[in-house]
Amino acid sequence: MATLELIHVVKKFGDFTAINDISLRVEEGEFVTLLGPSGCGKSTLLNMISGLEDVTAGEIRMNGKVVNQLGPYERDVAMVFQNYALYPHMTVEENIGFSMKLRKRSKNEISSHVLNVANMLELEHLLHRLPRELSGGQQQRVAIGRAVIREPSIFLFDEPFSNLDAALRVKTRGEIKELHQRLGVTSIFVTHDQEEALSLSDNIAVVRAGKLEQHGTPEEIYSRPASKYVARFIGSPQMDIFNGSFGVTDGRLNYQIGEVGVPLPANFIPPTHPVDMGVRPEYVLLGTTGFPASVRLVQPVGPFTYVTVEWQGGSVTARVNGVSHLKVKETLRVEFNPEGLIFFDRETEERSDL
Amino acid sequence: MISNRRFLHRFFIRLGLATFTLLALGPVLWGVVTSLFPLTSLTSRPPDLNPVNITIENYILVLDTSRGLFSGLINSFIIAFFTSAIGLVVGSMAAYSLARLNMPGRNKILMMILATQMFPGIVIIIPLFLVMSRLNLVDTHFGLIMVYLSFILPIVIWILKGFFEGVPMELERAAAVDGATPLQTFRFIVLPISLPPLFATGVFAFIESWNEFFFAIILTRIDVKTAPIAIAEFSGQYTTLYGQMLASAVLASIPVVVLAIIFRKFILEGFVEGAIKA
Repeated sequence: MATLELIHVVKKFGDFTAINDISLRVEEGEFVTLLGPSGCGKSTLLNMISGLEDVTAGEIRMNGKVVNQLGPYERDVAMVFQNYALYPHMTVEENIGFSMKLRKRSKNEISSHVLNVANMLELEHLLHRLPRELSGGQQQRVAIGRAVIREPSIFLFDEPFSNLDAALRVKTRGEIKELHQRLGVTSIFVTHDQEEALSLSDNIAVVRAGKLEQHGTPEEIYSRPASKYVARFIGSPQMDIFNGSFGVTDGRLNYQIGEVGVPLPANFIPPTHPVDMGVRPEYVLLGTTGFPASVRLVQPVGPFTYVTVEWQGGSVTARVNGVSHLKVKETLRVEFNPEGLIFFDRETEERSDL
Repeated sequence: MISNRRFLHRFFIRLGLATFTLLALGPVLWGVVTSLFPLTSLTSRPPDLNPVNITIENYILVLDTSRGLFSGLINSFIIAFFTSAIGLVVGSMAAYSLARLNMPGRNKILMMILATQMFPGIVIIIPLFLVMSRLNLVDTHFGLIMVYLSFILPIVIWILKGFFEGVPMELERAAAVDGATPLQTFRFIVLPISLPPLFATGVFAFIESWNEFFFAIILTRIDVKTAPIAIAEFSGQYTTLYGQMLASAVLASIPVVVLAIIFRKFILEGFVEGAIKA
């Protein structure tokens, strides 16, 4: 187990700056997700931590020791690749045992270790198969086994679920989380899937165009996004963000969206600069109080139904428990729970009510 | 309707393939038949192909060590073996570095390698002959191997470069994370999964130099005559010994046919399948 620190890390490919001054601290045993869209630099960052890419500037420390100059193996990290990268000519047993073979461990030692790992990952019956004879999920477990047998200080996962179908993805997600709980090894997980990030991580680092946009617990990232970018990236369906303005109706401060003024809490102090207002579906209440709107779209997803309503100049999506019997074009009343209102500086796109 | 169309579709594909097979195999078949009859049966008009005349006399005659064919086969083997072996060792290293190393002028080097293939042999043969004779390399194994390498190597490099580029980078990265040195990565990962294409390319190089005629006829005289030259010599100024010529041709094609069958097996195998889930 190890702590990991990135200190003002920079990576350039020629003129292109892939990682632009990222600092991040990962505690011992922590599970951290690097989250961002493809091309944001999160995989590059992971490769730099692994030692597969060198560092242009800044420092990477493991357990306080600078590892910039160390190769992947000397860093004592193990990595699970996006496409698994199983050695195609080796059996499952040989794939998992390869790192021990390189360390010239005895055959008995290797096979007993491999067997332990295989038991843990339910791979015992597949030990003599070649990777091409395995299903996607099995290949994935072999890739994890190859990392586990190393007993590394840090696990690195590079989008390990992107090749699995939806059901298997959720199952494997649970397995990885359990594995982390059991082994307690510091883990860095790269994904573009916000749901994976939220469900797995102790902390999430949102990366945007080579910069760290926000670093915090899943709860913080979800409820208190530091910027419009994070707010949009986390949560499905997306947070609705309105380009409105403050106004006063009947002596009460509100936020004007099209024809409608959304009432604000009595103690609210409006900022002096223009702001956009965001709200997540669970803070939008449909019923008999509030302003009138009509139903545009009804999307049931099982435990919830997402209902999109519209009014002159605006629309918002609400989350309704269970099955909704609302019909399209039906009119109803909408209320925003003031606790869920979030404001962003229109200019900087950063959160402005912190 | 649909099944009807499918039937027609298949019918025409098979018809095409059958025609091609016939065109390709017809002369071979005729060659084998010819090699089994004595000269008198073949030169009579019309040719007398009565099965009672079938004989292996031609084969016995051409395999007599005093004739050119036997030493021709040996020369061909030596030259083809060394051409493909050296071609593979040098070519695979060149191909791997061209595929993996980000060196300056990489594309220029590749284009230059390809450019050497743009000259037909006939264009360079006279200066080449002069150079070879000054170097005392005419009618030597070494000389012919060098000449063959000059056109085998570019092909080997281009084929293998394409293959190495297809080897997923992640495999090498995974090996590095597992603690393999670059040399160990090459030995335990890259080399084993590259064996089928290496072998296939080697067979290809072997067949190319085994069959080569043009350079061989100009750059060899007595000692290093290859099999194709020895076969051609059965056609003399006054007579052509058809039976013996074709018996030699049949014998000379056996190694190539065997290699081609092996070649096919390796080419058809999906060698990197399962490495990467795409």
